[in-house]
Amino acid sequence: MSNLLEIQDIHTFIGQYHILQGVSVEVPAGTITALLGRNGAGKTTTLKSVLGLTPPRQGRVVFNGRDLRGLRSYEIAALGIGFVPEHRAIFRALSVEENLKIAERRKGDLQKRQEMIFSLFPDLERLIRLSGGNLSGGQQQMLAVARALVPENHLLLIDEPTEGLAPVIIESMMKAILHLSADTTVVLVEQNFLVASQLAEHYVIIEEGMSVKQGKMADLVNDPDTIRRYLGAA
Amino acid sequence: MNGLLVSLRKNLALWIIMGVLLALLIMAIRGMPTKDWVITLLRSFSAGAVIFLVASGFSLIFGLLDVLNLAHGTLFMIGAYLGWTVFVRPDTFVDLLPLGALLGSGFMLGPVWESLSLASRLPERLRRILPWMGLAAAVAILLYVLPHYPITAWDLDRYDASPVTYAYLADQGLFVPPEPEKFEGMAPALGLATVVFASLLATLSLTSLTQPILAAEVRPKMRWQPLAAFAAIVAVGLLIFAFNDALTNFLLGLNTTWLFFIAMLVASLTGFGLGALMESTLIRPLYSRPIYQLMLTLGLSAMGIELVRAVWGRPEFTMPKPALFSGSGDGCPATTLAGWLEHQCSTLLILDGRVRVYNEIFIPLVGILVLLAVWILLKRSRLGMIIRAGVQDRQMVEALGINVKRVFTLVFGLGVGLAALGGVLAGPSTGLGSAMGDTVLLNALIALAIGGLTSYPGAAIGSLMVGLLQQFIIKYGAIGIPIPFTDIVFKPTPPLVPASTVLLMVIILLVMPNGLLGKKE
Repeated sequence: MSNLLEIQDIHTFIGQYHILQGVSVEVPAGTITALLGRNGAGKTTTLKSVLGLTPPRQGRVVFNGRDLRGLRSYEIAALGIGFVPEHRAIFRALSVEENLKIAERRKGDLQKRQEMIFSLFPDLERLIRLSGGNLSGGQQQMLAVARALVPENHLLLIDEPTEGLAPVIIESMMKAILHLSADTTVVLVEQNFLVASQLAEHYVIIEEGMSVKQGKMADLVNDPDTIRRYLGAA
Repeated sequence: MNGLLVSLRKNLALWIIMGVLLALLIMAIRGMPTKDWVITLLRSFSAGAVIFLVASGFSLIFGLLDVLNLAHGTLFMIGAYLGWTVFVRPDTFVDLLPLGALLGSGFMLGPVWESLSLASRLPERLRRILPWMGLAAAVAILLYVLPHYPITAWDLDRYDASPVTYAYLADQGLFVPPEPEKFEGMAPALGLATVVFASLLATLSLTSLTQPILAAEVRPKMRWQPLAAFAAIVAVGLLIFAFNDALTNFLLGLNTTWLFFIAMLVASLTGFGLGALMESTLIRPLYSRPIYQLMLTLGLSAMGIELVRAVWGRPEFTMPKPALFSGSGDGCPATTLAGWLEHQCSTLLILDGRVRVYNEIFIPLVGILVLLAVWILLKRSRLGMIIRAGVQDRQMVEALGINVKRVFTLVFGLGVGLAALGGVLAGPSTGLGSAMGDTVLLNALIALAIGGLTSYPGAAIGSLMVGLLQQFIIKYGAIGIPIPFTDIVFKPTPPLVPASTVLLMVIILLVMPNGLLGKKE
């Protein structure tokens, strides 16, 4: 099986802070890979480094066989990478429809996929005219995921999709992610180990800016020592 | 009805303030005879429209780019002087056109330069020094060529050929263009080619300076469009140079109303270009350093003022009104719109008040048109959608695959273009002087503080309020306010005009710290 995304020993600085000090991740095509680790370990920065939002100073990121060094964020995204940021960063001043429309890379992207999107998130169709700022937390998170589905993406980077959501909504969010992973590769940052272990086939543990362990999720679930050591909870 | 109640409860402070201000306005209106308040209202719209043109651009730029462009007032002034030049000295304008086209031609090749500078495998040190040397060489070449380049212009040292005189002559319809200049001591072909060369050298150097140094293997694809654009703009420049006299005579023969619209268009487009150039070369390296941006724009503002003084001189002068708004004599002042159109009067009688058509009707009209046009652009177009989204979260917009940098350049250009348009509009009503930019920028900042810094409707409401307050105080300065129960008639003095707007701003900010329509940070 070939890797869709390869992160090779990247070092990223934010200002003068050396945030990532050697992260390597291999993401096989067609799977869900979970980035695990404590708060502040560098999981979000890893996603942003792939997208060039915080470009790595050393190391390289290879997507679909292409070296992403030197490309600007918008060029990287246009290669087919969707991003669902943490804290439901939808555009509050835009309506639900505009939030989806702005993600179009080609005219008609939204029209082509809206049926699929609305079947995953039926609420959004009902709220289409509402402005993003008036949605509830769960609806905003659905919109953030839906937005990443509008253009044709080969890879989705999803940051903390279940953070602060009610259990019912977490469940439908998980269903949606499982559904869309059928034809898209996903990299998932998830604090909730229960959620991550049910969704992902592969895991990578990031600790203090370094990737310390990676492998099959099935093995990690049966390894309480590792879970306790790096994730603090069983 | 229900929605209204909810909005009332949510924005109680806003509605109370609006209510109080409206009551004050009605009181102010009732204290005047009809003809006075009609004129004062119209003047307020006029002043508000000019302030709005500056404030809206300023707020667009600040909202999306987080840049406080303190040079905005100066760019407004430069717009006014450019418009004046097109309107009063079309021959000078036609002389400048090819020069501008040839100088700007290099910018069309931006993408080509980018791929070249990325591909360069020069040693690090050379790569740092070469662009500066290139830039210096380009400036040296231009300094040598430009004195030979033929530009028929005014002469600040001779009163009978100064801008003041030309403004007067144009107003009287007595302008006869002086003998056109020719290339002196230099073959025209060589001169033109040198200008193009200098432009290529300068833009290549600028691109290498502002581009981050990237790995050589990442090479953008070469495209043919930039080359075509470059060839087209050089061709246009050369054509205009060749048919200079014909174009000049055509412009001189035009009705001045058309000429005025051309002046508005040219100033706006030049403003757009200046803004785009400023953003992509000077502002872009400073995005992470807000204090430096402030110092840069403040410095540019001072430089702009000195430049205007050096080129157009220190004495203030006015811009003549276009023919449509300058008629007098038979049938004037007109009493109906049809009568006004027939005689093209400068004044119109409305409810017994003599209204100056240009100042008090045309300017507000243009202001409203621009307000609507930009509103539609923001609400209906994809660019507007990106701008509104980018105001909140630039990174996320970029992560969607949108080239935010290019949008930044566009918005900066748009903002400056609006200011320049405002400058041209203000020319015939308030006149041209090197202080005009500072005054309008101050008013625009107060208007934005009142309305909310990044809110587009806020900019409109704030500008209108500043206009109303100033004009009513000016009018009451003439007729006086009788103080109840006394014999005293209070006449506000001129210094109270700016002071009153600041006072209004302070009161509103005390109640609503984000302005009337501003978002909470």
